[in-house]
Amino acid sequence: MLPNRSRTSVLVFLLPPLLLYCAAVLFPILQSLFLSFFSWNGISEMEFVGLANYVRMLTADDIFWRSFFNALLYLAICLVLQLGGALVVASLLTSLRRGRELIKTLYLLPAVISTVAIAFLFIRIYSIDPVGLLNQLLHWVGLGSLERAWLSDVNTVLAAVSAPEGWRFTGLYMLIIYAALIAVPKELEEAAVLDGASKWTLFTKIRFPYIRPVWITTTIMATTYGLRGFDIPYLMTNGGPGQSSELLTTYMYKTAFTSTDFGYASTISVFIVIECLVAVGLILFMLKRKADS
Amino acid sequence: MITQTAPITPRASAPSSPVHQRRRRKPSLHRTLSRVLIMLIVIVQVYPLAWLFLTSLRTEHDFATGDPFALPSSLTWENYARAFETGDLGRNILNSFIVTMGANILIVLFGMMAAYAIQVLGFRLSRFVRALFLIGIIVPVQIALVPLFIDYSAVNLLDTYQSMIIPLAGFALPMSIYLFSSFFEYIPRETYEAASLDGAGPYRIFGLITLPLSLNTVVTVVLVNSIFIWNDFIFANSFVLSEDLKTIPLGLQNYIGAMGKVDWTATFAAVCVTITPLLLVFLVLNKAMIQGLESGATKG
Repeated sequence: MLPNRSRTSVLVFLLPPLLLYCAAVLFPILQSLFLSFFSWNGISEMEFVGLANYVRMLTADDIFWRSFFNALLYLAICLVLQLGGALVVASLLTSLRRGRELIKTLYLLPAVISTVAIAFLFIRIYSIDPVGLLNQLLHWVGLGSLERAWLSDVNTVLAAVSAPEGWRFTGLYMLIIYAALIAVPKELEEAAVLDGASKWTLFTKIRFPYIRPVWITTTIMATTYGLRGFDIPYLMTNGGPGQSSELLTTYMYKTAFTSTDFGYASTISVFIVIECLVAVGLILFMLKRKADS
Repeated sequence: MITQTAPITPRASAPSSPVHQRRRRKPSLHRTLSRVLIMLIVIVQVYPLAWLFLTSLRTEHDFATGDPFALPSSLTWENYARAFETGDLGRNILNSFIVTMGANILIVLFGMMAAYAIQVLGFRLSRFVRALFLIGIIVPVQIALVPLFIDYSAVNLLDTYQSMIIPLAGFALPMSIYLFSSFFEYIPRETYEAASLDGAGPYRIFGLITLPLSLNTVVTVVLVNSIFIWNDFIFANSFVLSEDLKTIPLGLQNYIGAMGKVDWTATFAAVCVTITPLLLVFLVLNKAMIQGLESGATKG
């Protein structure tokens, strides 16, 4: 603590940021919680309905559950692409001698592109007429039978809208994991190699345990970002065809701004927040148990 | 420095027998393999972008009939001319600048101030306030959409620059505070104590010591946040309606909606125009940006 600080000076520095934060983040969270107990379309009188919104959401809303499971699958695909891809590339990168910086830069490029541009790009990639990159590629390798309009097919659309999100951020996680792998002490690795450790053992017994804290952070980041994924599915298919690529976030958005059912939309967004908190808790719990055993 | 004698590709099974004998042959095989593999992955990662730029230079006819992988039969800039003619891309870019600048100023200034109050000045509830700010990192932004929409319409802030700047800055503030306070930890106490003995108060110390010393962190915070703010879609889409205020993502979305199925190649050109500014900044500053992303992520 500074010796000649005064109470006023603390307030002068703290109040403006705190006010902005309350206005933009804290107050809206409380307001959502509050609204979730009401039925309101923004115009007529607000009506207190108690837990009715929650009951409707959990017991009587098929679209909600559909979106929930879709969101889980979306999350799974994103995690595999982002974290799995990141780990593989980061490990490969450590074995290169030159060009590491260039590859880092190239690999990160998609992260600076807007979701609108990405959505457009992938709509064209999945396109069948005029034939897009994916269908053309399938045709060339003799898998022509798989060619289809990926975004209109209810069986493929969810995976098709998840992949761009994975593509977009895998570079970011690769950077983080790479930075952690680089920090593994060389002496440890050398010692293990001299003891005859295989590369796989080296990885599972030395390198991975060493980067574990960073791995936990990236897993949490990727999970919370995956659960709040919105832009790309919204822009590519708007949840369609039918509800086959609807996520909780897109469903919430439509409930709020298309059906203007503010109360019920708030209920769904409260659920999304709880889902994020539970996910973070679960990850920490599972990793802790694994570390203990 | 230790030279890289140990092959450290994690994949593939490796010898458990005499190491030094194999060391010479194996690593090179592994290195070639991993080099090929990584090249493949990078190509898959970057090719879509290259394709985007190539297609924006094709003629309409070429695009509609040709094989998408083929190189353009002739290059043309006309798509760009048409894109600028139809869209209001200049206006959109200007708006994005205003929003990015506005939000960044708030994020940097307020982040620094809050970190200064919490970390340097210190007060009784500082731990509680710090925890309060942590909430903003975990909570998804979507929860704020409905409340902010209602509040904005109550105070007539809908459809303004502020309606985008406030939540963008608010949700970025926790990370900024975190980065600044972890930097402030490294400024030695003695510096402050000496300044205090010379009679400097908290404001002068902030202006003369803390602020100038944290310029590096400012750069990190600005670079990382600019990516997300420049590309923000959800807040702009929820709170802005008038054409005059639309930022790049919205303007582009408009353009795609209107022309995406009419004028294919001009739409590719429009997309390229909107992603180029940030791509250029990124390519020029990529060292600083990569460092920023690394520190932003690992500390958060």
